[in-house]
Amino acid sequence: MSHHQPPKTLTRLLQLICREEFYEELQGDLEERYYRDVEEKGTSKARRKYNLEMIRLIRPSVIKSPTISKSMNQLSMLRNYTVVAFRNIKRQKLFSAINIIGLAISMAVGLITISFITEMESYDEFHTNLNRLYRIGTTRTNHINDSNDYASTSLLLGDRLEEEYAAADQVVSMFKGLWGDLNKDEKLFNFSGLYTSHNFFEAFSFTLKSGNPQTALAEPNSMVITEDLAMKVFGSIDVVGETVKKGNLVFTITGIANNPPKNSHIQFDALASLATIRNMEEYEYLFEWNTMWSSYVYVMLPQNHNITDLKIILDKIVTDENSKMETFSMNPNIDAMADIFPGDGQYNQLGNMMQKSYIKQVIILALIVLFSACFNYANLSIARSLKRAKEIGIRKVIGARKSQLFNQFVLEAIVVAFISLVFAFGLFVILRPSFIALDYSTIKTTTLELTPQIILYFVAFAILIGALAGMIPSALMTKFSPLAVLKGISMRGDRGISIRKVMVAVQFTLSIGLATLVYLTYQQYQFALNFDLGFTTNNILNVDLHGNKPEVLRSAFEQLPEVKMVSHSSLIPSTGNLNSDEAKIVGEIDSIVTYSNYVDANYLQNFDHELIAGENFRETGDDQMIVNETFLNAFGIKNNQDALGKRITYYDRNRTIVGVVKDFHYGTIYNTIKPFAFLHKPELQPEYFNLKIQSTNILTTLDKLDEVWSEIDPHHEFDGTFYDVQIQGFYKHMEAKMKMYGLLAVIAISISMLGLLGMVIYTTESRIKELTIRKVLGASVSNLIILVGSNFSWIFLFATAISIPASYYLYQQLSNSIAHKAPLNLFELIYGAIPIIAISLLVILSQSLKAAQTNPAETLRND
Amino acid sequence: MKGTYLGEFQEIVLLTIIVLAENAYGVSIQDEIELRTKRSVSRGALHTALMRLEEKGFIQSEYGGATAERGGRRKRFYAVTNLGRSALNEAKSVRDELWSLIPNVQGQ
Repeated sequence: MSHHQPPKTLTRLLQLICREEFYEELQGDLEERYYRDVEEKGTSKARRKYNLEMIRLIRPSVIKSPTISKSMNQLSMLRNYTVVAFRNIKRQKLFSAINIIGLAISMAVGLITISFITEMESYDEFHTNLNRLYRIGTTRTNHINDSNDYASTSLLLGDRLEEEYAAADQVVSMFKGLWGDLNKDEKLFNFSGLYTSHNFFEAFSFTLKSGNPQTALAEPNSMVITEDLAMKVFGSIDVVGETVKKGNLVFTITGIANNPPKNSHIQFDALASLATIRNMEEYEYLFEWNTMWSSYVYVMLPQNHNITDLKIILDKIVTDENSKMETFSMNPNIDAMADIFPGDGQYNQLGNMMQKSYIKQVIILALIVLFSACFNYANLSIARSLKRAKEIGIRKVIGARKSQLFNQFVLEAIVVAFISLVFAFGLFVILRPSFIALDYSTIKTTTLELTPQIILYFVAFAILIGALAGMIPSALMTKFSPLAVLKGISMRGDRGISIRKVMVAVQFTLSIGLATLVYLTYQQYQFALNFDLGFTTNNILNVDLHGNKPEVLRSAFEQLPEVKMVSHSSLIPSTGNLNSDEAKIVGEIDSIVTYSNYVDANYLQNFDHELIAGENFRETGDDQMIVNETFLNAFGIKNNQDALGKRITYYDRNRTIVGVVKDFHYGTIYNTIKPFAFLHKPELQPEYFNLKIQSTNILTTLDKLDEVWSEIDPHHEFDGTFYDVQIQGFYKHMEAKMKMYGLLAVIAISISMLGLLGMVIYTTESRIKELTIRKVLGASVSNLIILVGSNFSWIFLFATAISIPASYYLYQQLSNSIAHKAPLNLFELIYGAIPIIAISLLVILSQSLKAAQTNPAETLRND
Repeated sequence: MKGTYLGEFQEIVLLTIIVLAENAYGVSIQDEIELRTKRSVSRGALHTALMRLEEKGFIQSEYGGATAERGGRRKRFYAVTNLGRSALNEAKSVRDELWSLIPNVQGQ
């Protein structure tokens, strides 16, 4: 029997609402079926079925009917409250609309947040052995005590664990290097996957459609492909036993896997046996201790395991292996499978990752918007409470207790929240695609699909929001003394007004703060795009060679008149790609981390790099390097000329410095300039061509390049991108952040404007007599506007004074990792606040003008 | 004759209880119906039907032994009463009579 309990949430609900005489029978029946389904169909299916059955049990013949006398009375009171609630909503159409629209917009944000978090929490939960699975990651420390955390580790660690840790149920190793093109009858299909151990399917709950999960990955050159990939390559899923090629390797298909669930951090199109590469010379380095960049080790421990045993074994292995290394040490980190996604702080993740900090930001921003809308509701309800004072008084005189009145007003708020929920749900459906498109990580990991569980959360959420919004006004209104209100004493000047002002102030603080944040992010984004890198990127088209031989392509490209120059490089700097190793002067001991790029002799000229000493690469000759000024500083070389001819050990070779270039930004705005070297090695296969294009019609030129490319390589699409576009691509995350802040700012601002509108209308309406008397006595229109406006002006001052420093501080915290920040004029900080204050003034102006222009006879003739 | 009317689903439930004899409780009834009719039956729908049948006096029930896979809860076994059997018979004879009035069904 499985030890997994059926889901608890709905079970509790049934216990609560089910008639006692049926509970034992029904719960027993459902549980019996659940355990059988777990055995036959797996946990997740069984859970779904169980939940569905539970929901279908909610019917009159099962649930308790309220006991007769007392609850009948409560029931009819409840009905009365609901009727009164609807009457109030109808009577005050404008205020109700403001409340419902405001709540609906903010609740839509809330719904997105709820479904987003629920989805993120569901990651990897489908593994039956979830609680027994652990991943071993690495903290790598170099000799100057720089350390980084990686999700990856050495395959050697996996091998040694397998041998020395017999208590583990399974040790699964993976290597990410299975990607590229699958070759089936000379047709190529792009794919990516993992080399992995034979016990992959025993540790993880991925399932096979056909093939034997125990043996599918046991033999060398075995491959399991997913249903999707099988359809793409073969057009059928009945292909066990067929063969495919990848490079020189021939694989036999030994199984068809069901596509991995979307909410799994391990994703693959194909799995190949690790045995395939275990004894190949070119992959020998993979099984060495210092190779840890793209290999992963997962361990499944026995039931009732003790994690300390694993730690002790790991310590022993690591101490042993580290003692053989000189320049660095590696220490293992154990991550429980359930804690891997969402996660942060680790490099080299196996699959797509969602940052915990991103989730936190979404939650905080959603809370801001929600509070804002709840405040609106509270504010307007308090403002209108005078109109309902008589109702409250009469209810009290008849005998309503305080708690009953409190419940009534909270219920009213919940009714409004439910009406808003309907609109919010519509907005949720509309906004869903834009939210997913906001960020690279959400595109890869988020679907926001609706499940019965999430719908249930939505309903609970509406009740919660209603209760929250209704709390403050209910508490205030129930305090009214029946005698006072029935006599008709005005309540102006009581403390409800100050609470209202505080709430408006908080709303405006949040709105102005968000707007300032948007402005700052926008400034930084623009700064990043126009950042002076120290070399020219104009008109450079970077072409990914996809492993093609450079010579043929180079001469073909050079024949086009629009191509002025062709250079090549192993990576594209300033787009977030870095390459580094430790460099030292030949014969000396101290080494310094140096970044680098393999380029050819054309490169410096192509990008207008300024050579301040020495000369460019010669096409022939031994390994040459050109270094930047920081490199010289780091090695304590004072004079540029002194550097020339120095021999440097770097990437396992001795190289000669032939030139020095002016410092430039090979990194992004997140990096400071560190030692850097251009390396020259003619025989090395370049990854990219950099074409300098001079053309009046870019599109035709691109077409021509495409044509040249497809003649030489028909298998791959021509993959050329302008440098500036690539840089912009790197800063996409910043743009996404800006959009997210921007969207929420717009929502928060609209909600507070709605609130302000309501408040101003209320103020002018309740003071209309005072205003008209003043008018009759000779006050001018502008006098009256100032009178009404001064009521609100200090709110803006207060909100601006608090929010601008706060959001500036917050922005500094959020952008901690940025090395090159946009210069900021302190005066610019109020740019975010200006439009908000301007709109608010317009709102106040329009309403007070309306009041001031009323004909005094209209309002006074009834008295 | 209000009160003794037998709906189609209720009839199936009654027949299933007779078929299962000593072993007729929630899960087994649900399984048997799903097996025979090839349609999925929710426990909730079954519960409603069972309650109706018990109200009409067509079935009676009693608790049996507890088992571990039910979290230690007892099963409730159902049995068809004589009244239930005669209601079934009556339903069947009404149908038989109607069928006999149709000339040569197979020929259609």
